[in-house]
Amino acid sequence: MLLPEKMTKVLIVGSKERLKDTIDVLYSAEAVHPIDFSPEEEGFTLGSPLSSASEVSQKLLKLRAAEKDLDIDGKPLKGMVQVSRIYSELDQALTMLGTELSSAVESKNSLQGRIHDLENQKKLLEPFQALPIELDLYRGYQRLVVFTGTVRNDPEAELNSAVKNFEFFKSDDGKLVAIFVVREEAPEVQRILVQNGFSEVPVPVGNGSPAEAAKRIDDELVLQQKSLTEANEKMVKLREQHETFILASDEELSIQVEKAELPLRVGVSEHTFVVDAWVPTNEVEALVKNVQSKVGDGVVVEVLETVPRKEHLHPEEAHGGATEAHVQEEAPSKIDQKRPIGFFSYLTNLISTPKYGEIDPSYVLAITFPLFFGLMVGDIGYGIPFMALGALGLRKCKSPEWRTISTMLLFGGIWATLFGMFLFGEAFGMHFSPQWIPNTPEMHTLYPYGNELSWSSMLGTNLPQIGIISKLGNVKLFLYITVWIGIVHLLLGFGIGLYNEAIRHGMRHAFFHKVGWIFILLGGACLLPWILDLLILNVAVSYTDPLFLIGIGLLLAGIVIAYIGEGGPAILELPGLMSNVVSYTRLAAIGMSKAGMALAFNMIAIEMIAPAGGVALIAGMLVFMAGHLMIFILAVISAGIHGIRLHYVELFQKFFSGGGLAFNPLKIVRKYTSER
Amino acid sequence: MAVEAAGLIAIGAGLAVGLTGLGSAWAEKDIGSAAVGAMAEDEKNFGKGLILTVIPETIVIFGLVMAILLWTKM
Repeated sequence: MLLPEKMTKVLIVGSKERLKDTIDVLYSAEAVHPIDFSPEEEGFTLGSPLSSASEVSQKLLKLRAAEKDLDIDGKPLKGMVQVSRIYSELDQALTMLGTELSSAVESKNSLQGRIHDLENQKKLLEPFQALPIELDLYRGYQRLVVFTGTVRNDPEAELNSAVKNFEFFKSDDGKLVAIFVVREEAPEVQRILVQNGFSEVPVPVGNGSPAEAAKRIDDELVLQQKSLTEANEKMVKLREQHETFILASDEELSIQVEKAELPLRVGVSEHTFVVDAWVPTNEVEALVKNVQSKVGDGVVVEVLETVPRKEHLHPEEAHGGATEAHVQEEAPSKIDQKRPIGFFSYLTNLISTPKYGEIDPSYVLAITFPLFFGLMVGDIGYGIPFMALGALGLRKCKSPEWRTISTMLLFGGIWATLFGMFLFGEAFGMHFSPQWIPNTPEMHTLYPYGNELSWSSMLGTNLPQIGIISKLGNVKLFLYITVWIGIVHLLLGFGIGLYNEAIRHGMRHAFFHKVGWIFILLGGACLLPWILDLLILNVAVSYTDPLFLIGIGLLLAGIVIAYIGEGGPAILELPGLMSNVVSYTRLAAIGMSKAGMALAFNMIAIEMIAPAGGVALIAGMLVFMAGHLMIFILAVISAGIHGIRLHYVELFQKFFSGGGLAFNPLKIVRKYTSER
Repeated sequence: MAVEAAGLIAIGAGLAVGLTGLGSAWAEKDIGSAAVGAMAEDEKNFGKGLILTVIPETIVIFGLVMAILLWTKM
């Protein structure tokens, strides 16, 4: 159950006439993962698509073009289209779409082109409206040269002094000028203009005053835009009319093309075909029967072998990585989990797909990730909203990312509530403890920071003490607990690693690669109380303590085994293991930071702002809500990221190799069509 | 004298968490930008990128643990 499903390799051989029927059966079985044919086998070549492929592809092309023209996107539709209806109406619909749509698209395009032209003309006319000259007066002279354009400085004075026969016009702002000059003096005018930063603006075609011409263009623009709106409306109508049918036909034809192109992955000879495929072992029998009953004679399914989990490493592969042929031979991993564990395989797949011969880490992830999240949050006040948010997300969200996050929030919220209730006894950073009584020593164990806010003082009643430890009061204990959580979690990781290695490479390999590390970790665990006594608590330690001796023994034995199994680098990895264990103290650190922030906001809101009453009471409540909302959001980010990180970095490295091939069977997914 | 000792412990704790935080941030900055680059090429690299990015974070956890242990001695 924890491993991917057992796979059997099958060989499907038959006569070529039966290939089409066989493909239909293979698709309907939804359990056949074909292996791409490598054309090295003698007598066989790669197949070519079925004869129907080109015709169907052409129709599909037309449909896709229509989808693009009509701007159809694959949004979900109501209702399904019968496949039989598609085939009876498709040709007619394609012809109709061809004529109706192409004329609509054509008229729309020509309208758009005309509008674009008109707008350009209008833009050209715009500057000339500032000059009092009709458009036809700018051209058609033999003895005159006309300069029109913009200038940086006014050239009038210079022209007056240097040129005799000319007319000068300029716009009110002095930027646009028009100069009419006799041909002989044109070079001189040009020189002056260039010195004044002249840049030519061509005169638009047309006659009459520029303002009138602009008005004529405006009138036409209004008409053309009205026609364009009508054309667009026609397209929208066409889309509404045909959208469902086009999407459904696209889907059906895509399926047909996919099926017709399957022979490209299959080996064929003159009269036969051969398909290599992986099939889950428990579905082989059904497949054989199915092929026999639906295709009949002429096709044989030969069961080749049920693939063992054990991998045979050739010496060169063990060092240089797998060769191409080796990768091809690896069975795909079919990971078939029920909810909610299935949602966590999304997180596993972010790293890699599990190999065929290893335990799917999603199971561990599904159990300990929400647990860690809950421990870091550890507060009823946040746990219950997390549960609600997760449940809401599972109800509303469709994408796998959000469903994964929602599942994690739901279960993380449940753990956070449980820890908040039974371990820490707090909600919104305030404890459930009896009321503060001054001058009693017992109170100092409950409230290490003196008269701190508690639910009892808030509600004015004497609530019983719930919860065993306080995040901020029992810091050392909390850190110590998390170190032990780390040791147990890592032992679990090594345990799974031992199992994986044992089934993939045999007991001997597993012993030298994992048992050594388990011994080292256990030895370290035995030494932990002793180290604490020596380094932190400053208590006298005894070197004959049995636990100390056992710990040293295990540690040395583990180092020797790991050295034999993995060589020198194993020694270098020892500090890494220690840092892995210490890394789990982040469970306590993040819990404390949440509790610290909550304490601060509570003090600011309830003890400093609210007591003034009136508006201050409302302000206090706002600060309280904003503060806790911030902690709540930070909890998702910090507790979520750190929780998943502990798994990815610390746990997975102890057993997960990944790099498997996901089981990807031939199957048909219909969204818009139904066969019945 | 006692007040001074407590102050020195507090400064030590602050340095422990502050400097290790800077160290982690510096390391994560480089790894993170490289990871984002790798992710832009292929989104499948997200998981590996996340792992590599958060590896130096252990440094600041060490610093934090030290700071907490110092703080409990105040």
